[in-house]
Amino acid sequence: MISSRFVLKRLLLLVPVLVGVASLVFSILHLSPGDPALTIAGERASEEFVKQVEESLGLNDPIWVQYGRFIADAAQFQFGESFIIQRNTTVREVLVNKLPVTLELAIYGQLIGVFLGIPLGILSAVKQDSITDHLTRIGALAGISVPIFWSGPLLILLFAQVLGVLPTSGRISVLYNVEAIRVTGLVTVDTLIAGEWDMFVSAVRHMILPASVIGVYSMALISRMMRSSMLEVIRQDYIRTARAKGQGAKITVLKHGFRNAMIPVITVIGIQFGGLLGGAVLTETVFAIGGIGTLLVEAIKVGDYPIVQGTVLTFAFLFTLVNLGVDITYSILDPRIEQ
Amino acid sequence: MSTETKTTTETTTGTGERGLIDRVTASPFVSKLLSNRLALAGIAIIVTMVVVAIYARLFVSLDAITQSQLGTNPNRAAPSLEYLFGTDGQARSLLPRVAYGAWYAMLFGTVTVAASTTLGVGLGIIAAYYGDVTDNVIMRTMDVLLAFPSLLLALALVAIFPDDLGLWRAVAALTLVYTPRFARVVRGAALTVLENEYIDATIALGATDPRVLVRHVLPNCLAPITVQSTLNFGLAIIDLAALSFLGFGAAAGTPSWGLMLSNGVSQGLLTGVWWWSFFPGFFLALTVLGFNLLGDGMRDALDPRMREAVD
Repeated sequence: MISSRFVLKRLLLLVPVLVGVASLVFSILHLSPGDPALTIAGERASEEFVKQVEESLGLNDPIWVQYGRFIADAAQFQFGESFIIQRNTTVREVLVNKLPVTLELAIYGQLIGVFLGIPLGILSAVKQDSITDHLTRIGALAGISVPIFWSGPLLILLFAQVLGVLPTSGRISVLYNVEAIRVTGLVTVDTLIAGEWDMFVSAVRHMILPASVIGVYSMALISRMMRSSMLEVIRQDYIRTARAKGQGAKITVLKHGFRNAMIPVITVIGIQFGGLLGGAVLTETVFAIGGIGTLLVEAIKVGDYPIVQGTVLTFAFLFTLVNLGVDITYSILDPRIEQ
Repeated sequence: MSTETKTTTETTTGTGERGLIDRVTASPFVSKLLSNRLALAGIAIIVTMVVVAIYARLFVSLDAITQSQLGTNPNRAAPSLEYLFGTDGQARSLLPRVAYGAWYAMLFGTVTVAASTTLGVGLGIIAAYYGDVTDNVIMRTMDVLLAFPSLLLALALVAIFPDDLGLWRAVAALTLVYTPRFARVVRGAALTVLENEYIDATIALGATDPRVLVRHVLPNCLAPITVQSTLNFGLAIIDLAALSFLGFGAAAGTPSWGLMLSNGVSQGLLTGVWWWSFFPGFFLALTVLGFNLLGDGMRDALDPRMREAVD
């Protein structure tokens, strides 16, 4: 159904993009004000010590040598050690620790978005111009207009302050030590694996508000795309043919319409994943969750360049991989795209 | 404020040329747009926010709303008749601050959208017209920029610019982030326009490249450009506020919505001071909704099938 040639070609096309991405990150950091050697050595360090640090970081080498080394290291996912945030820890270690936090948030957000957005979009299209349709459309438009850093605080005020039913910050109650049972780094999964039911409930309760905030945005985008795509598909001749041969409306929509209408929706889901990663930065800040979003913000503020490089490249890499996944799914749904 | 509203609407409609107005309303695009109630609601919201923004810029003293009013006003006062939106941690009344926030959002939003539209349109048209190497160099660069989630790229880019630029560094970063979207849309539209015979005819008549591009290709790409700009306006206003919220935009004390929200979250949330978050966020969301309603209406009025092209 799907040729390995196609996948291989897509993979090869990724290489120049990723090299471009790495080069851009390299130039951004070299254009940034601030002296990494001074940051590490500290303001009051002796000139000699600063020179020593510069030497050890290879900052005295010609720029193209530094660039070559950076690309070679980046290809092996090596970004050196953190300057400030977690001294003497490799960026790789820091990322491995924090990435699951962000991914977990993004995954739950996306699940909410997909499982609510797709049915709402279909419903809206099938019942075009009905009250349901109008409400869904206006709701979706409001959903993409409300910033996460407003809906988040409001939900915290409502559910935590006024009703007092849900926790407002962190990933799990401070009473529990999740590190002790770490397997995947995803708290809702680890607590289940360990069979710690109370911990699992705590983790889920902590996830509800942040995942909903991210999920609503995603749901709004997906339902909009699903609606317009479905509207176009159900006007096609083959839908009329299916109906004419006596097939019921429901089966026609689900069997013939759905698959074809999903193609543009999948693109939106893919693009939306990038939005989710960006949204995670804001959501993590609002809900005080220590993922790579808050890590990046802190690293930029204090000038921890290796962390900034590692985080930004990881985000871009993930986003690119998801887009590749989108392209491949696309060609499964519509084999004509391969040509 | 109601008298202000009246005078502004009068001057904007009063200066238009009669013939021009007739011509504009007669176009199918405009009449379709004006028959869309949601789009009209969007226009109403935008006009109101523009009026508020201009009013705040003209009649609210920036000094009075940025300096601490401790001792003069009650501190952290809840909304009341005297302080409609309450006061903040420095006893500043929130109402004029939120109103001034509209000015910042509109001003910086406009600059960001105008700059990225201009850059993106220029690059997109040039890529389409010259093709080959030029096209490849431009579009592959755009691909690299598009490989980053947009807010993250903006965060990384903001780091290049010095702190004292304040909101301008957010504008610069977001301009670079949005440019590829315009370039893609415009390149696609321009390629279609370039297939027309009148383009060949113009070139055969000896028109120079800039003339072909500006006089013939550009006007025929305006529709998708306008829709993309309107939809991007809402996004720009959110992202500018997001950067300020995260601490990479407006300087401390500035009455920008993002900064006010950041204050509301970091200091007001756990003490239950809801009005610090509620009012700036409400006006931010309303403004963005206005642009999204209008953008959607424009897209539908233009051609329902264009939906995918500009998304």
